[in-house]
Amino acid sequence: MSISLVIDTSTQRTAVAIIQDGRMIVELHHDDALAHGEILPRLVEKVLMESSHVDQVIVGMGPGPFTGLRVGIAFAQSFALARNIPWLGVCSLDGIVPAVEPDSTGEYLVATDARRKEIFWARYKNGLRMCEPHVGAPQTLKLLKLPAFGEGAQKYKFSSNSDLLYPQPALLEKVSVDGPLYTTPIYVRRPDAFSAPVGVSFRAMNYADLVSVFDIEIKTYLDDPWSMAQLKEELAGKNRWYFVAESENQVVGYVGALHAGGITDVLTLTVRLDYQRKGIGRELLRRLIDWARVQKAEAIMLEMREGNSQAQPLYVDFGFVELTKRDNYYGPGITAIIMRKDLA
Amino acid sequence: MNVDGVVLGIETSCDETAVGIVRGRKLLANVISSSVDEHAKFGGVVPEIASRAHLEAMPAIISTALDDAGLTLADVDAVAVTAGPGLIGALLVGVSSASALSVALNKPLYGVNHLSAHIAVDCLGTTGPLRPSIGLLVSGGHSSILQINDITTDVHTLGQTMDDAAGEAFDKIARILNLGFPGGPAIDREAKLGSGAAIAFPRALMQGDDLVEHPFDFSFSGLKTAVSRYLQATPDFIRADVAASFQEAVVDVLLRKAIRACQESGIDSLVIAGGVAANSRLREEAVLRCHRAGIELRTPEIGLCTDNGAMVAALGSLALSAGIAPSLTGLSASSSPGIERIIWQ
Ligand SMILES: [Zn+2]
Repeated sequence: MSISLVIDTSTQRTAVAIIQDGRMIVELHHDDALAHGEILPRLVEKVLMESSHVDQVIVGMGPGPFTGLRVGIAFAQSFALARNIPWLGVCSLDGIVPAVEPDSTGEYLVATDARRKEIFWARYKNGLRMCEPHVGAPQTLKLLKLPAFGEGAQKYKFSSNSDLLYPQPALLEKVSVDGPLYTTPIYVRRPDAFSAPVGVSFRAMNYADLVSVFDIEIKTYLDDPWSMAQLKEELAGKNRWYFVAESENQVVGYVGALHAGGITDVLTLTVRLDYQRKGIGRELLRRLIDWARVQKAEAIMLEMREGNSQAQPLYVDFGFVELTKRDNYYGPGITAIIMRKDLA
Repeated sequence: MNVDGVVLGIETSCDETAVGIVRGRKLLANVISSSVDEHAKFGGVVPEIASRAHLEAMPAIISTALDDAGLTLADVDAVAVTAGPGLIGALLVGVSSASALSVALNKPLYGVNHLSAHIAVDCLGTTGPLRPSIGLLVSGGHSSILQINDITTDVHTLGQTMDDAAGEAFDKIARILNLGFPGGPAIDREAKLGSGAAIAFPRALMQGDDLVEHPFDFSFSGLKTAVSRYLQATPDFIRADVAASFQEAVVDVLLRKAIRACQESGIDSLVIAGGVAANSRLREEAVLRCHRAGIELRTPEIGLCTDNGAMVAALGSLALSAGIAPSLTGLSASSSPGIERIIWQ
């Protein structure tokens, strides 16, 4: 016999429940995005009146707006410490799953409000989450035309069911038994502060850089580098923007983009092999996004090879969403992934 | 009323995650984890990094403090937590953790004022009634002169900085002089090699109408400008003399105003707390000037001057032993509460 205290503060709702072996004993919630800190202790105090004994704490680890999210997690871990019982972290989105498969494909989205005109979301199939949670622009998710649940889908008007808006304690408890567990908060949107790579400077690309750029091209894209002629043409081309990262007077990375028809296309984002994983690609991409905003782009799009395991998480971090795949795009058997980030 | 209660105090108002435990006025544990190295990369405290670090560190810091005290949470009679002032996201992690301990253990919770706690820490190790005192609170985050009539019920602000905190001024000047971060200890060290009388840097708000209008307020931005002008105009400046003369100007203003506050209020006890209280010149000069003015000087040991959990536990313990009602469940953290709000009700 096991009694769980369930807590979720990942949305504007503070939800608290006591569940005994899958049976709901008591559930309380209060909707106020700015008062998780005040409400949570009061709700917990109330539910403990139904059962002061608790065997474990289950807490939604997000994704969610940071301040409210941390209130729930800090409370859960300290409560568990005080009672000398375990705590289990689950993905809050897993608590917003429809009881019946919404359509024949079995696919659907769950989305909560990430504020700043963005949503936290994940894609599900047959009740199972297909990916880690992401953050992105609602417009992009609408393009997927899948059934959608959660306050995020509701807010941006692509929701399939207005009753399923917030994580349900009963479902979170169920997930804690058979679903994925998390020991650290699911921040998804990286904390705003991210240190710039040390000793690396950034500037516009010029012709003098092309020798080093070409050298990086052939070492990185063995079978398919841009030629020197292509590079020159690109750099001279209209509506294009090329930017380099420089360390110790050497080019160590570069990014290129084309803006046309209201869309900014990422043409290349390349970091020299021995300078990867230092945050240089992140900084180049950040500058590219700034440039696209200045061009008043409605979205940024890019194509990448499937299996480019280095680049994809970076794009996902920045809110790019996989739209479609094109088979044999880069040659036989090589699939292209098309990703898009809408700029609100 | 419980004069020998065990109180666990949590402090997360800025970049220090700290837990202290006291029994009555006896210090049992004081554990601090700082994210200062992470912030150094950005040249200041980043609220988001501070909050994330508090959440990560909290359970381990609580457990370590209990181990150090040789206690378990079952021995705790009350929980205290800094409820403000501070960074709101950072405060909330502490308040939420403290609320959880209070609800889980069914023990009273005291939300306390961070500034009063800086002064309250001075009671640790003492016995007998606490006397009214003037508090000079100087750190990277605050520069205030407080009048403490009763530490749990009656504290008010006599003056505060109108621009930079004293500690910030040290950091900025250290940066200009290329002495590194944090600036306080760096300037303290460098100043020992120079003369504080070498350069006559200005003392702000010490004369005429300024003094009448702002008898206990500070301003350090003019001093900062004066130092940079001096450096520009003096290519062959002596770094140690600049550091010493800058430090002398700060120390002089802080002490003249603090002692004046004692004299005007008729309170003959001065407590100096906050990170800048670690400055050796300030301590040395304070001893001298307080002695001359017939004022009792109290400076908590340096580890208790900077932000810590013991000070929060100390104030909570004083509230508990004074029979003050605990805070309500679900107390609100506040980024800038008034100083008169000492114990949250
Ligand atoms: Zn402080």
